[in-house]
Amino acid sequence: MAVEIPKDSWPGSVKEVTLGATPAEGGTRSRTVTVGGETTLPFMHFEAPPPHPPAIAIEIKSRRPQDWSPLLGELWGAAMNAPAEWARQAEDADADLLVLALDIEDTVDDAVAAVQSVLQASGLPLIVWGPGQAEKDNELLVPVAEATKGERVVLGICEDKNYRTIVAAALANDHLVQARAPMDVNLSKQLNILISDMGLPLDRILMDPTTGALGYGIEYGYSVMERLRLAALQGDAMTQLPMIVTPGYEAWKTKEAKVGEGVPAAWGDWQARAIYWETLTAVALLESGADIVVLRHPESVQNVKQAIANLMTPA
Amino acid sequence: MSEHVLTFYPEGDGNAQSVRVPTGTLVADALQQAGVEINQPCGGQGRCGRCVVQIESGAIRRRSTLRLTPQDIEEGFALACQGVVEGDAVVRVPPQEKISRRLTTDRTAAAVAPPPDYAWAEHQSLKRIPLTLTPPSMENQTDDWARLQTALRRQAALEDIVAPLPVLRKIGDRLRQNDWQVTALVDTGSQPKALLDLLPGYPRPEEPMWGVAVDIGTTTVTVWLVDLVSGQVRAQTAEYNGQIARGEDVISRIIYASKNDGGEELRQRALETINALIETACKRVRLTPEQIVKATVVGNTTMMHLFLGIPPASIRLTPFVPAVNSPPPFTASEVGLKIYPQARVLCLPGVASYVGADITAGALASGLADSEEVCLFMDVGTNGEMVLGNREWMITCACSAGPAFEGAGVVDGMRATRGAIEEVWINTTTYEPTCRVIGGVRPRGLCGSGLISLLAEMFITGILDKAGNLNFSLGSERIREGEHGPEYVVVWGEETAHGRDIVLTRVDIDNLLRAKAAIYAGFSVLAGQVGFDLQQVQRVLIGGSFGQYINVEKAVQIGLLPDLPWERFEFLGNTAVRGAYAALLDRRAEERIRQIAARMTYLELSADNTFYDAFMAAMFLPHTDLTCFPSVAATLNKV
Repeated sequence: MAVEIPKDSWPGSVKEVTLGATPAEGGTRSRTVTVGGETTLPFMHFEAPPPHPPAIAIEIKSRRPQDWSPLLGELWGAAMNAPAEWARQAEDADADLLVLALDIEDTVDDAVAAVQSVLQASGLPLIVWGPGQAEKDNELLVPVAEATKGERVVLGICEDKNYRTIVAAALANDHLVQARAPMDVNLSKQLNILISDMGLPLDRILMDPTTGALGYGIEYGYSVMERLRLAALQGDAMTQLPMIVTPGYEAWKTKEAKVGEGVPAAWGDWQARAIYWETLTAVALLESGADIVVLRHPESVQNVKQAIANLMTPA
Repeated sequence: MSEHVLTFYPEGDGNAQSVRVPTGTLVADALQQAGVEINQPCGGQGRCGRCVVQIESGAIRRRSTLRLTPQDIEEGFALACQGVVEGDAVVRVPPQEKISRRLTTDRTAAAVAPPPDYAWAEHQSLKRIPLTLTPPSMENQTDDWARLQTALRRQAALEDIVAPLPVLRKIGDRLRQNDWQVTALVDTGSQPKALLDLLPGYPRPEEPMWGVAVDIGTTTVTVWLVDLVSGQVRAQTAEYNGQIARGEDVISRIIYASKNDGGEELRQRALETINALIETACKRVRLTPEQIVKATVVGNTTMMHLFLGIPPASIRLTPFVPAVNSPPPFTASEVGLKIYPQARVLCLPGVASYVGADITAGALASGLADSEEVCLFMDVGTNGEMVLGNREWMITCACSAGPAFEGAGVVDGMRATRGAIEEVWINTTTYEPTCRVIGGVRPRGLCGSGLISLLAEMFITGILDKAGNLNFSLGSERIREGEHGPEYVVVWGEETAHGRDIVLTRVDIDNLLRAKAAIYAGFSVLAGQVGFDLQQVQRVLIGGSFGQYINVEKAVQIGLLPDLPWERFEFLGNTAVRGAYAALLDRRAEERIRQIAARMTYLELSADNTFYDAFMAAMFLPHTDLTCFPSVAATLNKV
């Protein structure tokens, strides 16, 4: 007798969000990337095929980062000194999207120049992060938003105490925002409400629930993302947004990825370990519903690409 | 377009004036055109009800009837800012102070009256028994105490009475100086019954006998001075608890008490506060505290422990068990109350570490314990305790709200006394506030109801976003970067009593949000625990030292109270002291409170992982799930 697998159907679904704009849409990107649109839990092909594969972004910086792992420094080499070159190499490394993180030292002119050089060097849709300090973020992101009007750039990172200026800049210049809340279902939802109260349509918001690396709180982040997705599927409009997470940033912060000397021999090869750390963190988060993962190492990108291809193939 | 004549009487019965206006003109605009300025604190949004006028005759259409009861409408009341002139009409514009009085009715507090069936001779455990003793002689050498016992047995059928040593010391003189005609003050509620005092002669039956009901709140201590004969409350006094200097919440007090002599210091601080309040109350009725012969005391479990000098350390440690929930009776001198030293001090029973006698007393005083319908009783103080249930079942829990709603822990917070801003309206276009101040004097600060009202108005007018952030893009000079971060200036220094600006800071707002979130989360978890839909609650009984002044609409707007029809809310003021008062008068009430304490089911929130989620969901204005607050959603859409 054949076993019939029961299928769940949900009242809600995740909104589709499109990053970037082609010349026909008022931008200069060679292609756009659409994420979201899920109508069931991740990769449940028998219930509903995932409408879009998760996308991979590679994180680059406007200035050569001082605090990154030496492994990444060796790998990217001189490209790290010029965001345009770095962006080109990232595109060659198979990224779907680019994240350009601005630096606290950047002037407004530096920031705008860096963003423009990246847009010229690569046709990928772009996510721009401020340096992560409220006043500086506002100072840099507003002129960046104006200089890139129409490109449907994602501006970040909005948090609950500091979202107004970034959202206003996104509203005025046809951009999107990345909304980050500290690993809590309610806080994520609240930030989405605040942003949409300002008039930004929900299909221009990416939700960043914050995560931790493997061994550094990933299970908590995983659970929050799972619950956000369940809430979305149950029909809670303010959680029906695609999720972006930063496993690259988290994994490369860990001692396992960052340190090669003075660690137990049993830890094995440093580089392999670091890449596994990033890969496994990212893949676990894809399973919990991530739509965009931001990575740093090209080999992790290849690993995660492969994992996505497998996950997108029905069993 | 046709024109109409609007005739109006300023100040209710002033000389008739009239103005000619086109169809569709608002009454408020027509009056302004005629030079009559009417108060519109909310900016003509139909939200504050301060611009009410009475339609004598004619065609005025009410665009909105918010703030008007069906009876108001029956009587012709309309809001000038929402009334549209559609034909000739005659209206009366009531004087402003009359409007204030009218509005005060929307925050009715039950007045204190003795229970209608109170008969002191029957219900009071203290008895005054007039006695005539046969003087001793060479033929009858029975000692004074035995003689007194005999008289009590023969003349009042009272047996097995004991006398404390200080009373024995004075009976000899008392008897002889009064020709063996005395009145015995006997406590019949104790085991064994005790002679508390021997009074000279025979007091008139209506001569008062004094008792005090004491509520020791974490933030506010309240004392009621009561005549046990008539049952009347003769004086009510309240003051901040002197322990505040050693920690604002129960946990920090417990920690302080466990160090060195912290426990003794806190005991003394509580006693100083209570004794000072008793003295103030006594002064008001020209009494000495030594004339007070009975006391009932309620408070949360920690306060009771500190008051009695019992180490409270175990209250905050798993498994959260107090030293004692139901203390036996004591004498005033034992516990340190400066009243008649042999006065009986009854500490009413609590339920658990975080649900104390203030709640068991409140469950009785609020009527929940006698109700057939399911009620939600909440006591809003530094701890928010709540009880869901009726006369058949009761479940209770406690959450730490902090002292914000009592006006503490907020930069310009104060108790609800003279000079406190108790209500605020903010104009939606100018962001200028209008305040009502207790006593009508220059303001000194904001009390709990003022804070709730202010928070609600700031939110509804968009000065605050739903997370409580101030919106600097509105261009109001009242929204500024202050010493403690972003703030809103409620009253400029030149208009205050102390010359300083009265402000609400971002930190204050966070404190208020946490307080209201803890309380709302408490009852959502409580209701969830027994599978009861909050919408089904028929009566919401609200107690607490700020309870009698709170405005339901504002409290719902900030998400402190559930969004239920307004008529289901009842404001009872301080239910803890009310319960203590009931037990002070009537031994049956005391017994009921003991039964309630034994019957309540206690839900420990720290052992319940749904609380944190509910709390985070409530840390938003009004709530992360706006569908729980349909009336607020409607208001937000309108503004």
